Amino acid sequence: MKFLCVSCDEPMALQDVRGPHEGSMSVIFGCPSCAWEVAMLTNSMETQMVRSLGVKIGGRTVPAEPMEMVRASLAPPGDGASTTEAPAAAPQNTPAPADDPKCPFPDMAAAMPEAAATTPTVAPHGETTADATTKSGKCPFTGMVNDAFEQQQASGPVWTPEAEARIARIPSFAQAMVRKSIEQHAAEHGHAQIDGAVMDEVKGMFGM
Amino acid sequence: MKTYHDIATDGGSDVIGQVTAQRARLNDRLATVRHTVAVMSGKGGVGKSSLALNLALAAAQSGLAVGLLDADLNGASLAKMTGTGGTPLHMGEDGFLPAKGPLGLKVMSIDLLLPGSGEPLMWDAPTQRDAYAWRGLMEAGALREFVADTQWGALDALFIDLPPGTDKLPNLVDVLPQLSGAVIVTIPSGVSQFVVGKSIKMATTLLETPVLGLVENMASYVCSCCGHEEALFPGGNTEALAATYGVPFLGRIPFDPRMARCADDGLPYVAQHPDAPATQALQVLAKQVMATLNETTTETLPSR
Repeated sequence: MKFLCVSCDEPMALQDVRGPHEGSMSVIFGCPSCAWEVAMLTNSMETQMVRSLGVKIGGRTVPAEPMEMVRASLAPPGDGASTTEAPAAAPQNTPAPADDPKCPFPDMAAAMPEAAATTPTVAPHGETTADATTKSGKCPFTGMVNDAFEQQQASGPVWTPEAEARIARIPSFAQAMVRKSIEQHAAEHGHAQIDGAVMDEVKGMFGM
Repeated sequence: MKTYHDIATDGGSDVIGQVTAQRARLNDRLATVRHTVAVMSGKGGVGKSSLALNLALAAAQSGLAVGLLDADLNGASLAKMTGTGGTPLHMGEDGFLPAKGPLGLKVMSIDLLLPGSGEPLMWDAPTQRDAYAWRGLMEAGALREFVADTQWGALDALFIDLPPGTDKLPNLVDVLPQLSGAVIVTIPSGVSQFVVGKSIKMATTLLETPVLGLVENMASYVCSCCGHEEALFPGGNTEALAATYGVPFLGRIPFDPRMARCADDGLPYVAQHPDAPATQALQVLAKQVMATLNETTTETLPSR
């Protein structure tokens, strides 16, 4: 996909990548001639498709690590059967800090040169065995959007079963967007819980 | 106004460059692998994994360096069948070291990365709904990484066990265009051969993938008491199917319940039961397959 500034007839250049948040990425392009900016906003399926290709929007600054897409994309244990809603966003090009308790990659990378003698053991989800018993999650070293799928949303309003049932009635492809909008509405109006009353407040917005 | 093709770059991501780098890494990895062979069938339940494993073991038994890749991501079984399930993977200098299976077999399977042997493969995603849009891409990406990011070392052959479905070979060829050939598995039933015929057609006419031949699995049952051999699935004619599509008929592998027992226990059937008719048939099959591959490949590899 490419973007053209119609006024200048100049190809636009990638300027920034934000997200993913709630499964959506914001990819910002600017015209080098007139500085006009546009943002491409992906839906969750588009984000996931790019993720599946193992490429990094914005380009790579370091080579891909072995099996980085697979290891970073395996669902955490216990997530399998449920439909998971979008996790919190993290800057996609921001490397995990070396002391990140969830990231075993620095140790692994440090051991790689002398692999024959000190090959670190890697358990499922990329943990070294030393980490595996005490740390959860999976290795976030991968590029692109994978980092941002690491963390579950730390906080947010509670959804009542009634509210969940009502949002389930709308088309699935729109649910993440609607859910986010309702949560924003709840935050703006000081609602800690999203129930039928809050849903009624936004009823006119989404036709629920 | 400029069109898509007037603009040389994608704005800065260089997605084409990244994909090219992926391809280069895969090619570098396979530079020391003499042959890559898909073991496939359009039909499920014909014993593809069992045949892939035992074909690989028979080849390894003859002194060849052999790898075995479980490309059936959603029904991975080769880690268990090789006794490598639960084995922690180790990182080498430039990728993951494959698990060490029986007879020196080098094994890689998604099961070796899953948190438990009973865990199904689930991809992390904003939502598991509407996964049809990306699941195939995810599996193709995973397959690429399994081939490219495993330190196979020098191999005479890498056997790739494909899941059932006529679409699986095209997916593999997209990832691995240099595939040396495919061994196609059927059982002697009309239904199986009806579906397998479609796979052969897909391979030969649409993909132009070399079909090394057609194998009839579970061809017969040999009584363990008296040695009498009887057909298990009377009806199908595998030789005729091979002739119809102009592919070699590679032979018949008799059914032996001990093969399933060995798979359950992660033991090498061909070594455990060297005198069994199925072992002898597998050894002949391995020789045929390797001979065909060697006839079609002239390049030499660095010494192991």
